[in-house]
Amino acid sequence: MTDHLSNAVETTASAVDLRASWDDLVAVAMLGTDRRNPPSPTGMIADVVDDTVRSSPSERMLAQVAATVVVRRAGVLPGPARLLIAGPDADDRQVCVPAAIERWHHVVSSWHVLEDEWMLTLLTNGWRVPPDLVPELLTRHRSDPIRRARAEIACGPLAGWLVGHLPELAARGAANTQPDPSADDIAELPMLPIPPDLEPLLFADGDQVARQLAKAIDSGTLVHAHRAVLINLVARMHAGSLGAVATALEAIDGSSIGFPLASVLADLARTRERMLDELGRT
Amino acid sequence: MVDHVAVASRCTCPSRRHPCKHVLALLLLWSSGDVPETTAPATVVAWLAERQVSATRTVPDTATPRSATTETTPTDDAAPADAESDTSPEPAGDVPDRDRVRDERVERMYAGLTELDRWLDDRMRTGLADPVLAKYATWDELAARLVDAQAGSLANRIRRLAGLVGESPDWHSDVLAELGLLHLLAQAGRRLGSLPGPLADAVATTVGWSVRQADVLAGVPDTDTWIVAARSDTREDRIEVRRHWLRGTTSGRWALVLSFAAYRQSLDTSLTVGTALAADLHRYPGPALRALVGTRHGEPTEPVRPPAVDIVSACGEIGVLLAAEPWLDRVPFTATASIAVDGSTFLLADAGGTLPLIAAGRPLATLMAVAGGDPVDVTCEWTPHGVVPLTVHLDGRSIDIGPRADDDFVSAA
Repeated sequence: MTDHLSNAVETTASAVDLRASWDDLVAVAMLGTDRRNPPSPTGMIADVVDDTVRSSPSERMLAQVAATVVVRRAGVLPGPARLLIAGPDADDRQVCVPAAIERWHHVVSSWHVLEDEWMLTLLTNGWRVPPDLVPELLTRHRSDPIRRARAEIACGPLAGWLVGHLPELAARGAANTQPDPSADDIAELPMLPIPPDLEPLLFADGDQVARQLAKAIDSGTLVHAHRAVLINLVARMHAGSLGAVATALEAIDGSSIGFPLASVLADLARTRERMLDELGRT
Repeated sequence: MVDHVAVASRCTCPSRRHPCKHVLALLLLWSSGDVPETTAPATVVAWLAERQVSATRTVPDTATPRSATTETTPTDDAAPADAESDTSPEPAGDVPDRDRVRDERVERMYAGLTELDRWLDDRMRTGLADPVLAKYATWDELAARLVDAQAGSLANRIRRLAGLVGESPDWHSDVLAELGLLHLLAQAGRRLGSLPGPLADAVATTVGWSVRQADVLAGVPDTDTWIVAARSDTREDRIEVRRHWLRGTTSGRWALVLSFAAYRQSLDTSLTVGTALAADLHRYPGPALRALVGTRHGEPTEPVRPPAVDIVSACGEIGVLLAAEPWLDRVPFTATASIAVDGSTFLLADAGGTLPLIAAGRPLATLMAVAGGDPVDVTCEWTPHGVVPLTVHLDGRSIDIGPRADDDFVSAA
């Protein structure tokens, strides 16, 4: 124990000496050896510098600087111990499955229209997001009050803790100035515009919806111009219809005029179906 | 190949020591009778024939001062660097063109290092407060001369150094440290002959002596199961550099696999952080971290995490690598640590001490969120200014938080 203590004291003393001699070197280097002579080296550094044939102050200075840098680098020491940051309050909820996180990345990159539903389904089923997704969610939802509130619930106590340490993750704009949204606002999916003639498909039987959509797209009745409203339709239709719709749209022949549109909608239907499945698992 | 009659040798290895270890080993085998009598391979026959022709052609020219080149040099420092693969005592006029080219290159490099040291000396005389240091041209001109002198790696260091001037309140200290290392390299580069072989190789490579990939891949492989511990992208001039830090599960040794991409080129995506692959790594000459991936023995396995140590031990590991090569800019380590704060600086910390973190934005936020006040295993790069967190290792997965190349600059692989 005494040996350990004396070693620690010696190490600290050496580090302090080295720091002081480095500061002296920096001071001389700023002025230049034309104005001030380099400090006299001590210890091992002196041995190294004395071993070299140096005539001018600048040459001796360079040798001393090089030797000191090497010793400082090779003798890298940790800084003094500090009080560790206390963690956030515990969150008893389970983290959602990894597949759901992969799906979230796909949703935010390709199907923004599903993002609100992803988050609400997560919250409804009692999941929380893994810690590594928290900074991304807080950064993504800074200014929309409702989405920010959902994100903070999904992140749990970690969100407030993280914002406390990293203020750049705090809410901004409306999310910072408006009153907190109500529970009803948070729990409600935003409305998406869907034409009245397509509205019956929202709650119709899955097979019927699939047949109607596939037929209309294949025949050219529904074309690319309807893409936006069809996306809204698939994003809000009854979840039980998604599988049948996706299958019917995937079956459209590649040579059909409606094939590109059908492919897009089929991908959306499959994505939403899998998303709900992943977030529904227990 | 060894000609034991005329005392000459040739080897394909990149070593500047002559005769190299392979030649010595071959001679030892031969002297103990372990080299069987057989028909000479075509390359040996061609080499001997070439030597025969040179010998008959150059007898009258023995006064041609090839040796004058080295004699004009005050010391023989450049000799190891210009050492040839073929060490036969031929007169200069008969050395093959590539050897002559190499001689010239070594001379240029030697001259460049001498000029660099003179320039450093001027900086010491006039001081770092000299306004000339604030002009980029001061550094750029020196860098250009070093490029001409075949010391491209030093030229890159000089350009990076230019960016340190005025960058922080204590830039004088940072610049002085780098000037000291440049002096060290300039001195060592002119004394390659008196340095131990591995160190000489390391200095030569650091100064800018290029080694062909084929020569590296021809070396003895370092076979192990390598954990891809971390990835880090940095922009250097107009090139994006990707570093993959690998750690051997058996040897515990670190290795660095680099890939480069100019604008719209792709970086290496074949190594995935948190996986392990059984492979042959071929290291560059010297005690180099840098290596090339050779033969891969099977598909990567996952997930794995490298062994982690406490902060004090991590400093010890860093020190060992820096003692071998003090000019390294980055050194990897994996530590089990938590986060602490000192003013506005975040620290990697445990009960034994702290290391300052260089991280902001998403990487720091992710590290803090994942740690959440508890210790985590994290692979970092030590740099002279602090440590950069690259990977957080959890049970079953690793989270890559290292700096990532700008997608607008590099294209997807």
